[in-house]
Amino acid sequence: MHFRQLILRRSLEILVIFFVILTGLFLLFHLAPGDPVSRMVDPSMTPEDADILISQLGLDQPVWLQYLYYVKNFFSGNFGTSFHYGRPVVSVIWERLPNTIVLFTTSVILSAMAGVFWGKIVAWYKGRPIDTWVTILSLVCHTLFLPWIALLFIWIFGYGVGWFPLNGMITPELWMNPKTGFFIKAVDILHHMLLPLFTLFIIHVGAYLLIMRSSMLETLSEDYILTARAKGLNEKQVRNRHAAPNAALPVVTSVGLSLAFSINGGALTETVFSWPGIGRELIFAVSNNDYPLALASFLFISIVVLVANLVVDILYAYLDPRIRY
Amino acid sequence: MPILTRGSDIDGGAMKNPMNAAQLKRSYNIQRFLEGWSLFYENLVGRIGLILLMIFGLMALLSFIPPLIDPMYHPMTGVDPDISRSTPPSLHHWLGTDNIGRDLFSQLLTGARIAFLVGVSAAFMSIVFGTLIGMVAGYAGRVTDSLLMRFADIIMVMPSLLVVLLMASFFGQLNIWIIVLLIALFRWPGVSRVIRSQTLSLKQRPFIDMARVAGASHLRILFRHILPNVLPMALLYMTFRVTSAIIVEAALAFLGFGDPNTVSWGMMLQWVWKTGHMFQAPYWLLPPGICISLITLSFYMMGRAMEEVLDPRLRKEGQRL
Repeated sequence: MHFRQLILRRSLEILVIFFVILTGLFLLFHLAPGDPVSRMVDPSMTPEDADILISQLGLDQPVWLQYLYYVKNFFSGNFGTSFHYGRPVVSVIWERLPNTIVLFTTSVILSAMAGVFWGKIVAWYKGRPIDTWVTILSLVCHTLFLPWIALLFIWIFGYGVGWFPLNGMITPELWMNPKTGFFIKAVDILHHMLLPLFTLFIIHVGAYLLIMRSSMLETLSEDYILTARAKGLNEKQVRNRHAAPNAALPVVTSVGLSLAFSINGGALTETVFSWPGIGRELIFAVSNNDYPLALASFLFISIVVLVANLVVDILYAYLDPRIRY
Repeated sequence: MPILTRGSDIDGGAMKNPMNAAQLKRSYNIQRFLEGWSLFYENLVGRIGLILLMIFGLMALLSFIPPLIDPMYHPMTGVDPDISRSTPPSLHHWLGTDNIGRDLFSQLLTGARIAFLVGVSAAFMSIVFGTLIGMVAGYAGRVTDSLLMRFADIIMVMPSLLVVLLMASFFGQLNIWIIVLLIALFRWPGVSRVIRSQTLSLKQRPFIDMARVAGASHLRILFRHILPNVLPMALLYMTFRVTSAIIVEAALAFLGFGDPNTVSWGMMLQWVWKTGHMFQAPYWLLPPGICISLITLSFYMMGRAMEEVLDPRLRKEGQRL
């Protein structure tokens, strides 16, 4: 199968999965006890505005037509109005989405890279103390309870030592000042981002390290490693150029499989650190019964996960030619 | 170890021999279990996991005692009449009290009970779903297989915590059993994939063909011949599922969507966070978090050690089962 065909097929599959999720949400919305109209229409609206919204969302139509309206509204970006913010949901989402994507992708990429690097080293020294202790340490990292470790980091590094801000993404006073340059702003965001990033990194790196370690051990017993040694390559070349690239493939797969888990963690991190992302928005909307916002946030989080899955698949096919041909 | 043969039953050998076929099989199973156990116990990670788990088991058992001593030690409703704010550890309250004067130590003990309850029951249910679906998919093949596995793929890409949150927003406050069920419903796909691939390879073995020739029905083949062979793997996955179930429940409780009638560790963390005591009361912030992290760690370590017992490739040289 050619590369382009593969991408096309995976994209189609992902589109189908997205439709299933979209439909599932619609069913959930209508099966849940209570009235769908009261969920989508802000109680504080004037009756005229409410009528306009109801006819826009098709809530006065039979259920099957409502479904068509729902799909159409999704693709035209009309999700209703957020109760809390009092403005279209889609504008809230567009504001939050980049923040989530930045935090999510950097944390996944950094932890996967560190996991591959350390897993490679640790597998090389199998059975030595460094292997035992790093393995146990990664098990501990992997099972740490994320919100708690986030609170602990805020307490130690934010409140105690004072290296990092306690929460948020920007320092408002700095951004209000018209003289602040772009560079200062970027550094400010980075400064706010380091602690949440570090939290996510600690949580994820252990799992990737363990996967890389076991996959590396399997690879090291392959015949072509023996060949590489036999032809006189030094140990470093065998490890880094012959064993590691092949051993890293399962890590790529596991990144794909753990994306849903990562986005859960991302939402928790965003909430504890008050990082204005879409996961925090979803949790916030659910707490405040802001249904239009909750629905749209969930859909967009699903899109993020699905697209990330597609990217991982493409990456895998690119790295492993056996998939392509 | 004498080999179990069918002939010995028929010619009456079993009548003379005090050890009949069932007993033989049992003693064989016991021996296998003991060998597996010694392999497990040689493993440092497994040993640490088991010891940790026993400590938590003890905590769960002891959780019934404090409310009997004095009603003020009741984790949910007991309030120390002399205390109206969070206090550090003292003789009466070993871990201190929360902001309304409830005893943190007794809350911590009760949390262990809830964690076991949620973790084990959700994991058990997800294993039942996963094993059934995996076996059916692998055994039936064709359309059934691809439909079930596509379905598993869809569930796999859903962030389970956020889905349960969304459910909570639609259906109102969830009680602990609904939470357990929802966790189980979103955690079976991983198990079913493994069980499916095992079933696929088992299906090719001669003994399945023999069973079919002997006239066994599909149900009988599935439950009498395939199930016993995939059960060890299912049990292994159960220990990993316990971990994820405890984490999801704790995260839900932490975000304020737990069952308000239970005291779980996640709930304790939510209280310390929401009442703004996280910088003032380390005696309140640290214990529940350490407990959640360690209990998940202990199940995970047990799982890793069990994996090594079950998978010969992971063993050190010279070890065998």
